[in-house]
Amino acid sequence: MTSQQIQHMEKQPAASAHETLTRREDDRGGPKRPRLTAQGWATISVFAICAILIVSSRAISPAFGGWAQLKAILILSSFVMVAGFGQGLVILLGGLDLSIASVCTLAGVLTFNWVGNSELALLWGVPVVLLITAGVGTVNGIGVALLRIPAFIMTLASGIIVYSLCLGFTGGTPRGMASPILSAIYTASVGGIPVIILLMVLVAIVGSVVQGRTVFGRKLYAVGANENAAHIAGIPVRAFTIAAYAVAGACGGLAGIMMVGYAGGATLTMGQPYLLPSIAAVVVGGSSILGGRGTYLGTVGGAILLTTISTIISALQMSEGWRTVIYGSVILLALIFMREDLFAAVKRQSGASKR
Amino acid sequence: MHAAMGNGAFIISALFIILYTVYAVWQPSALSVSDLTDFFNNTLPLAIAAAGGTFVVLTRGFDLSVAGVISIANVIMATKIGEGPVQALWGLVLVCGIGLLCGAVNGLLVSKIGLQSIASSLGTMIITSGIALVLLDAPGGTVSEFVSYGLMDDIAGIVPITGLIAAALIAIWLVVKRTDIGIAVYAVGADETASTLAGINVVKTRFFAYSIAGALYGLAGYMLSAQTATGNPNAGNPFLLQVFAAIAIGGTSFRGGHGGVVGSMVGAATLMLLQKLLFTAGVSSFYTGLFQGVIMIVAVLIAALSSRFSAAGAR
Repeated sequence: MTSQQIQHMEKQPAASAHETLTRREDDRGGPKRPRLTAQGWATISVFAICAILIVSSRAISPAFGGWAQLKAILILSSFVMVAGFGQGLVILLGGLDLSIASVCTLAGVLTFNWVGNSELALLWGVPVVLLITAGVGTVNGIGVALLRIPAFIMTLASGIIVYSLCLGFTGGTPRGMASPILSAIYTASVGGIPVIILLMVLVAIVGSVVQGRTVFGRKLYAVGANENAAHIAGIPVRAFTIAAYAVAGACGGLAGIMMVGYAGGATLTMGQPYLLPSIAAVVVGGSSILGGRGTYLGTVGGAILLTTISTIISALQMSEGWRTVIYGSVILLALIFMREDLFAAVKRQSGASKR
Repeated sequence: MHAAMGNGAFIISALFIILYTVYAVWQPSALSVSDLTDFFNNTLPLAIAAAGGTFVVLTRGFDLSVAGVISIANVIMATKIGEGPVQALWGLVLVCGIGLLCGAVNGLLVSKIGLQSIASSLGTMIITSGIALVLLDAPGGTVSEFVSYGLMDDIAGIVPITGLIAAALIAIWLVVKRTDIGIAVYAVGADETASTLAGINVVKTRFFAYSIAGALYGLAGYMLSAQTATGNPNAGNPFLLQVFAAIAIGGTSFRGGHGGVVGSMVGAATLMLLQKLLFTAGVSSFYTGLFQGVIMIVAVLIAALSSRFSAAGAR
């Protein structure tokens, strides 16, 4: 593959992000809604930073900056992308899902144990695991929406409970068999492009449409922006909240099933490394933790950016401590420089100079 | 009494006393000085960390940096501090100072730069965990015997030193919460706009809350080092979720403005007691989390119900 083709591929996500977002701004009368514009800029800049980082990482290692690295990054981002969709919906409502790591582990442990290498078990096992994890999410949603327990506490508690059940179920060591079909998702490719990357493009499109274009998604924005106003406008706020948490549970479950395919096994700590990144991806992608604002495309960009940073840093000739310090600093800098008010201010400045 | 303790603190204290009574009936030695000293020693690090986190939660923020700061404090105590009282005091000043500095950075990021607290403290948590790894890349080192034996002891076989430290912290808190800055912390968490209109400096108040929290995480790391007597660059990690669990069952509202340090400290003690109780009852340690999670949810529900009843009674 020539370097030109590679560059083209790297630029593509940024370009498509730009298109969708500007189109959406036009729908809503562009300049009258400076907030959406700022969000659009945030998303574009996330993808742009990814592209710049990947291209310039060739300076660190000659193995970097090419298709192989991009492929590795996209494959590694897939878990956070999927978990991040659910996390993003919940954050859109002004909530938070801290149980997503334990739910991942639960799904992984169950899939590993129930499905094993049987193709028949895959047919019933995957749907059942997704139903169970959606059930955990539903319980979270009921706690938050009906019992009015703060999301942070409800999901923290349910996460601790689910993890404890995983420990009890496995007796400390998950047992099972690797599933060749699940692994094939990560190893097979169609027309030179790995299946998992095609799937993730599909996830990005479906996720963006569900969150940004469907009635369900648009109403979630309304609930997140102002719950009382949404209630008065006739939106069944409680049902929507429970639904969002259920989707988040299922997303955590799907990420867990995917991890079993990727790693060919399950461990009791498999979900843990993805809890904070799932939140960070949503926030780096320009969503407000207070709810009502954010796009899934931003989250996808956030997930890819975080993975890009960590893969590049892991290649640095440094001790683990210094790599961790750099990783944290880059996240902080990204947060500081991608603040929405900063984009809004820049926009205002440029708008003023034109006039 | 009610006003002094705060609703949540009262409920969790009652729950704690009931559980401890059950434990004492089961295991009569639970009331001996040596058992009590052990219990205080095990609880104090989490209790202090939860006390620090409470300041931030009261202002309606989240602080994840607790894990990293405790790790740094532990690693410093295990590798950089020598024997003797002077070194022990220098270690205390050093780790609390480092905690204060980390807290001040968090405070600046949240109050001045306007970052979302959960996101910015995620960044500082990763950085501080990294610094702990830079200082000590694998578990090791020893904490001076002056600290590890001295602070874990009791005075004249009657009063555990860690119990005295806990009492002193509660006394300081009861004074601080009545000062202008203490009242401001509650006001900012309850309603930021109204506090601004009432002339409260919101930026300064937030900065104060995060800084104090950081200093207390440092102190928690100091006490943890005294308890474990060794260094571990990941020593703070288990504290991350436990601190929030303790704050939650202690009755501090995550919506800000309600609760207090006493509740969080008793909450931490309850979490520890629960582990002891389940162990004594022969429940597999796998299921400790199940009970902890259920207790968290129940405690929050009871607090919500009782505040509804007391509000109805006032009318």
